[in-house]
Amino acid sequence: MTSEFALIAAPIIPLAAALLVSLSGKIPNLRDSFSVLAGIILFGTVVSIVPDIMAGGRPAFTVVEVMPGLALGFLVEPLGMLFALVASGLWIVTTIYAIGYMRGHEESNQTRFFASFAVAIFASIGVAFASNLLTLFMFYELLTLSTYPLVTHQRTDEAMRAGRVYLGILFTTSICFLLFAVIWTWVITGTTDFTPGGILAGKAEGATVGVLLALFAFGTGKAALMPFHRWLPAAMVAPTPVSALLHAVAVVKAGVFTIMKIVVYIFGISFLASTGSNQWLIWVASATIVLASLVALTKDNLKARLAYSTVSQLSYIVLGAALANQAGVVGGSMHIAMHAFGKITLFFCAGAIYVAHHKTKVSEMNGIGRQMPITLFAFLIGSLSVIGLPPFGGSWSKWFITMGAYEAEQMIPFAILMVSSLLNVAYLLPIVFRGFFLAPKETSDDGHVGHVSDHDGPSPGIWKIGALREAPLFCVLPICMTAFGCLVLFFYASEMHKMLLPLGAP
Amino acid sequence: MADSLQKDEKKYLFDNPKNVKRVLYGLYTICAGLFLIDFVFHRHVEHTAERIYGFYGIYGFVACVVLVLLAKEMRKILMRKENYYDPEGEE
Amino acid sequence: MPDALHPAFLFFAGALLVALLRGKAQALVALLVPVVSAVFVIGLGAGDGWTVSFLGYELQPFRVDRLSLLFGYLFHIAAFIGLLYAWKAGDTLQRVSGLLYAGSALGAVFAGDLITLFVFWELLAVTSTFLVWGRRTPRSVRSGQRYILIQILSGLTLLAGTIIYFVDTGSLEFSFIGLESGLGAKLIFLAFGIKCAWPFLHNWLTDSYPEATPVGTVFLSAFTTKVAVYALARAYPGTELLVYIGAAMTAFPIFFAVIENDLRRVLAYSMINQIGFMVVGIGIGSELGINGAVAHAFNDVLFKGLLFMSMGAVLFRTGTMNGSNLGGLYKSMPITTVFCMVGAASISAFPLFSGFVSKSMVVTAVLHEHHNVVWFILLFASAGVFHHAGIKIPFFAFFAHDSGKRVKEAPKSMLIAMAISAFACVFIGTFPSISLYRILPFAVDYVPYTATHVLTQCQILFFSALAFTWLKLSGLYPPELRSVNLDVDWSYRKLLPAVSRGVYAMAKTSRAAIDAGGLAILRKLGQAYYGLNGPASRLARTWPTGSIALWAAVLLGVYLVMFYT
Repeated sequence: MTSEFALIAAPIIPLAAALLVSLSGKIPNLRDSFSVLAGIILFGTVVSIVPDIMAGGRPAFTVVEVMPGLALGFLVEPLGMLFALVASGLWIVTTIYAIGYMRGHEESNQTRFFASFAVAIFASIGVAFASNLLTLFMFYELLTLSTYPLVTHQRTDEAMRAGRVYLGILFTTSICFLLFAVIWTWVITGTTDFTPGGILAGKAEGATVGVLLALFAFGTGKAALMPFHRWLPAAMVAPTPVSALLHAVAVVKAGVFTIMKIVVYIFGISFLASTGSNQWLIWVASATIVLASLVALTKDNLKARLAYSTVSQLSYIVLGAALANQAGVVGGSMHIAMHAFGKITLFFCAGAIYVAHHKTKVSEMNGIGRQMPITLFAFLIGSLSVIGLPPFGGSWSKWFITMGAYEAEQMIPFAILMVSSLLNVAYLLPIVFRGFFLAPKETSDDGHVGHVSDHDGPSPGIWKIGALREAPLFCVLPICMTAFGCLVLFFYASEMHKMLLPLGAP
Repeated sequence: MADSLQKDEKKYLFDNPKNVKRVLYGLYTICAGLFLIDFVFHRHVEHTAERIYGFYGIYGFVACVVLVLLAKEMRKILMRKENYYDPEGEE
Repeated sequence: MPDALHPAFLFFAGALLVALLRGKAQALVALLVPVVSAVFVIGLGAGDGWTVSFLGYELQPFRVDRLSLLFGYLFHIAAFIGLLYAWKAGDTLQRVSGLLYAGSALGAVFAGDLITLFVFWELLAVTSTFLVWGRRTPRSVRSGQRYILIQILSGLTLLAGTIIYFVDTGSLEFSFIGLESGLGAKLIFLAFGIKCAWPFLHNWLTDSYPEATPVGTVFLSAFTTKVAVYALARAYPGTELLVYIGAAMTAFPIFFAVIENDLRRVLAYSMINQIGFMVVGIGIGSELGINGAVAHAFNDVLFKGLLFMSMGAVLFRTGTMNGSNLGGLYKSMPITTVFCMVGAASISAFPLFSGFVSKSMVVTAVLHEHHNVVWFILLFASAGVFHHAGIKIPFFAFFAHDSGKRVKEAPKSMLIAMAISAFACVFIGTFPSISLYRILPFAVDYVPYTATHVLTQCQILFFSALAFTWLKLSGLYPPELRSVNLDVDWSYRKLLPAVSRGVYAMAKTSRAAIDAGGLAILRKLGQAYYGLNGPASRLARTWPTGSIALWAAVLLGVYLVMFYT
């Protein structure tokens, strides 16, 4: 299979999957098999492009040229390669998890759910491989649209309200700022193609660069840069697999990916660094890192805590881009993958705890590890990776971002990165030690004593071995896979680093 | 309470006050001996303070008394109730 | 595949195996891991190791020389004794984390570059925390949380220092660094200092070690601080600042030790005091100083481990560690009493016990370099250590006023573990030149057993004992009281929470005010923009869109103002 062929096939696979899933809605087992199968094929296809990229190849394919300099086309470069690998790889585990979760939780409208899911992956692949701003913008908007039914899946008032915030913020930012910035760039340079070294050098200067960067950065609402982050915690009402999709696989990563890609291929890092217009973005990203961590510390709802943690972690990537030097962009890009694995593990665990025991609050987690040791152990691994501790992937991306901060002589962001790791410890590890080492609360207001309350009755798929009450196997398996992934990435980081190095070429 | 518990027990080494006395007298004798050796034995000296007869013994004694008395004063400032840090007790 | 096997991997693999086993098999396999690994380590010689290329750096994850080998041997002995001690009192969690923790310590001392060091440094932090948490009381859980935060702070400081050091000098080698090579070197120094429990950075040790399980504390006392001592000896020998830091470490903790009631906390303070001697030796930097420092580290693991084991046995049998509740235990735990007194004699540096042959090296090195004030402080500390660790610990636990507690003697496995340590203490103390002195990094021409040495040491110790007796008999000695003594931890256990609660309350109020004000503006904007006259709920729904417009205007405005001024 040549790279070009794989490139054409990649977006088609999830699209076909969406179609097949819709058609086979009556037979759940068949429907879910299509999802998993498509995930595996897609991942294989994406992986087949890797050797070419490592060897310096840049497979490309133009769908249609609207007018000179404005086309719909795909091109694979290292950053997009990485994002596509993350999105397609995690699609498989998320699908398996979603099957366990949705069935274990007896959710309705599962067909619509899985079909939207597939479309979202289609959009993510489109974002990853887009060869120019126009293509990227179109897939970016499609991603918003396709995830809306997922966020509002439960159709409750709360879900619908969250959906409005979700659409409201993402659409408004992208149309008001991002589209505007794309058009502006096209007007200035006559092209929207992603070009190594950037296209703005010599075409824009002074305030224009800064304003354009602001339009791009805030226009990419999916990156959840403060103050446009509220859609993310709001979207927490969605079922957990959706949260995983939003926070790890597709949506937020599409956001930070977009910013990274624009900084590297539209501005060009040496040009951006030379103008000094990146300074304010460094500050906004640093502020987001620390503020979101502080907010996370105050949240008792586990998913809300994780959501603010995501807001904070995304800004690591934005900070890496804003530093506009080799260590920064390579570290930031690595963090896309590292954070994806860590955070998806955490969300999976939160969902598993909810499915098995209907617990959502950190303060209710006491003793949960005695019943769900596998889940909680995975949560520990995910936490350590997100904090940036060895031997898990997150440590290397933080290493490079921190190094980028020092090389850019940004000592306050440098210090903030350190403080943020401590804050991560403070808000993530309580779940672990409460779960493993504290006895369950003896009494609660509603009279449940000592044991895990089963007021909704035991969940249908609950997995019992002895005293253990783990989530369904389909939930536990993906948790183990992603937690293991965190460990593998620690050692695989060297290869990833090698692949991403061209991003930092001046 | 402790006494009632011990009623039926056998006598242990230090239940006999004589044995305690023996230990104490032993200590006093050793100390006296160690102090007196200084006047007989010529120590290898590196520091001027070491020339003082009985320097090590005096220094050791004074150091410990000062240590304990100072520590006792520290209690006035530093000591708090046992549950000072966790007033609600166990979580 | 590299030819030499890294002992850390054996420990990690062993931990994995132990996690899968249960019961006697588990205890046995855990105990065999250090034995098997020791067989490999004995075969290692200076110059062994391997290098790898990773992330574009040339790293040396495994480097063997005399200094690292000494700590390698030491950690194998410590792990073996700890796991033997855990035979009965241990559980899966403690065995697994104990093995991982020991493996991490081995990884750190065999690390040849700063990145590898950082990796194992953080692993030490995480794996050791489980030994604190493993006691499963709310107190130990909270203490463990403070512990891990401070340990990770040390790791982050090391990370920051390494990055700065690397960018500035281009070197990642973990060898002599010295304080002169800029900010990076200073941060690395500080990172070592946190783990080494320097004054003001020491409180994690006295906070958490006494909260761990009996087994946990034995493990904890062996590794973390000794890795830090190793790191200082490797990277900052001869740094004069260390002499003063070390001197302070020997002196201040003994005051706390005198008034502390929890006997394991007394030992924790005395641990800082002992590390102080090592830090002074490293600061002196002469061959005698370094030899003395690492020799004392070696001995400290053994005798401090022995003391913690004896106290752990008391805790295991009686369930309490408060001096005020103990006493008279020589009646029911006579063997433990004897072992505790061997440990006490060793830490007090009685002739024929191990502390004597290593501490005197440091004190002599100090005298050779004419640090007069420091010498006086060390003498004071030597007297003080006998006073609180040598006398107080055995006295209040096993003698003193009979508490009436009648318990069983410690389990056999604990006694055997203590016996091994006690034997090692006496053997090293009696025959240093055929044991410890042979593995020190530099050739030893130091003779501990001269008449002067023995005499002066006896004088200082027996007069300390005399002082204790006098104070006790005259009623001047402070009674054991159930209490908490304030230390540096007050700043982060009382002050910081109070401040952050205040700030949080302020932030909440001001945000509510901003939200209320902003919402009013938005409502007006919304009415103007959408021309909506519906109920308030409808307007409120549009706020995300409205707020975005507002924020965008504000940000662009701010940016333009910043740019043109």
